[in-house]
Amino acid sequence: MMREKLNAKSGLSLELLRRNMNTVGPIIFVIAVVAIFQIINPFFLSYHGIITLVYAMSYFLIAACGLTFVIMTGSFDFSVPSMLKLSALICVLYIEKIGLLVIPMALIVCLGFGFINGVFLAKFKVPSFLATLGISIVLEGIAWYLSKGHLEIMQDETFRSLATTFIGGFPSIFYWGMGVWIICTFLALATAFGRRTYAVGGNLEGAGLSDINIIWHRIKVFMLCGFLSGLAGVLYMSQMGGGSVKIGADMAIPLFASVVAGGTALTGGMGGPHRTLMGVIIITWIQAGMAMLAIGNDVQMLTFGLIAIGMSIATVDRKRIKIVK
Amino acid sequence: MHPVIIVFLALLLIFGIIYPGRFFSAINFKAILRQFVTLTLFALGPTFVVVTGRLDLSYIGVWMLGGVLVWLFKPILGMLSIIMIPITGIATGLFIGVVQTKAKIPSFILTLSLLVTYTGLTALLAGGYPRAVDGYEFITTSLIPLIPTAFLLSIPIITAAVFLMKCTRICVYLNAIGSNEEGARLAGINVDKYKILAFLLSGVFTGIGAIILFQHLGGSAQVQLKLDSIVWPLVAIVLGGTPLTGGSGGPQRTLLGAITFTIFYRGLYLSSLHPTMVTLLVGIVLIVSIIVSARGLKGVTVT
Repeated sequence: MMREKLNAKSGLSLELLRRNMNTVGPIIFVIAVVAIFQIINPFFLSYHGIITLVYAMSYFLIAACGLTFVIMTGSFDFSVPSMLKLSALICVLYIEKIGLLVIPMALIVCLGFGFINGVFLAKFKVPSFLATLGISIVLEGIAWYLSKGHLEIMQDETFRSLATTFIGGFPSIFYWGMGVWIICTFLALATAFGRRTYAVGGNLEGAGLSDINIIWHRIKVFMLCGFLSGLAGVLYMSQMGGGSVKIGADMAIPLFASVVAGGTALTGGMGGPHRTLMGVIIITWIQAGMAMLAIGNDVQMLTFGLIAIGMSIATVDRKRIKIVK
Repeated sequence: MHPVIIVFLALLLIFGIIYPGRFFSAINFKAILRQFVTLTLFALGPTFVVVTGRLDLSYIGVWMLGGVLVWLFKPILGMLSIIMIPITGIATGLFIGVVQTKAKIPSFILTLSLLVTYTGLTALLAGGYPRAVDGYEFITTSLIPLIPTAFLLSIPIITAAVFLMKCTRICVYLNAIGSNEEGARLAGINVDKYKILAFLLSGVFTGIGAIILFQHLGGSAQVQLKLDSIVWPLVAIVLGGTPLTGGSGGPQRTLLGAITFTIFYRGLYLSSLHPTMVTLLVGIVLIVSIIVSARGLKGVTVT
């Protein structure tokens, strides 16, 4: 009797856990990551350690929020790291000529490339992955052409203070990241734009039939992604204070892994920016934790590749979709 | 006549007029052949996958990981260790095929993640440096002047790929899956089996091609991943006329695309353009050729 009751209870809690795996899973993952690194490295959660972690995750969170919207519609944007790079380089190269006007300039350039990405996908029917791959090569070329491959140092103090002023014990980039995250969550969950994004990702044809202008909506989503990548680039430059065309190299897979690790499936129509926070914490804290322990780039790439494959298998809803290309 | 043939002839004509002495020289001819071999051997395998409407980006990963495994197993297996490259290719193809078909993950992201994993693994195994492997120079020793031996060796591989695509029923099945998967299933084709077969063929051809490429590209295990080397074979496939949505084309088209892209690249290479501008133009060619190859598609959902 007692045993049956216990079984029923544990069965129920297991069922509950399974149903909420997309929410609970990332939290368990974060706790595990923090615990492991804390055991190996006692300085992981010290004040300086936490500041490092905050610096590592903030700009990443902004870029990941943009990518989340694109993945929610079932598409993919490969050009996020390249846009981040271009925006950061525009800031550092032209700050002496036009002052703080570089920020709107960088944002508009990235918005424009996001628009081009969206047009290629929605109008010309180029698969988004390849369209953005092509655009990212073009961006790479532009970045090389503008910077000539030199390492550039940001001299402007006002620009630097954008991300590095300490307010309440945290650098201001933390508040930027959190602010963008809250706005994106609001946008996804509480506005018509967000609901349409879910509709487009869930069933493109159905969304078209229910009077959503799917072409224009997909373009808008890519523009949002470009804008947020640009913002991430501006804040990245403000935080780091310099860089070359190497900015954002090897960032594509960690970015993607952070979105799926949060619980946004690649097939679209589910998840959202509110979930991406946990994914970003997982990925960037593993990255920062490994860097603190002097573990090299090779092990990091290996880890993120495996996380990306594993999490995509875990999040895809196999019952709903029939054909995956 | 396929439009890319006109592009090919036009490029030959234009570059021949611009650089009369240099373009049709013996050195340039050899360079074109060398680059054509590299591009073709990387692009041949993935073409089978692209015909089904999917993507396989793991080719560079197979070449890199295979190379470092050869270096690693050389003391144990001796000269036989070269078989590590095809083994890597076949295992990769099988793994991707099974995971993509059964777990239903979009193929490009699966293969891209796998590529990054392989890069990390390669760097880890090699200790972060390119590792030179001696003893395989015989693969590319010059037999006929002006014609690279790698080109001669690639002829049977190319023939096998074209034969598979042209003279067996694999062609029909893969094209059917590419143009309408649901229809192919209803017509009684074992869709899952042929999807896995496509990825497996991709792995086999990449694996065998990578043996030649291993020596052709310097005879050492590389640890650096470049975006260019991922994109060029894709450009060759798309430029040749295999649309990324699947349903037509094949290795014979990839040959055309590879030679056209090589001529294009060599022409730019001879010009005074800055290398970054060449990179930029390659990106534009990729996008334009995808748009051209996707023309006339109605009712296909593109994500």
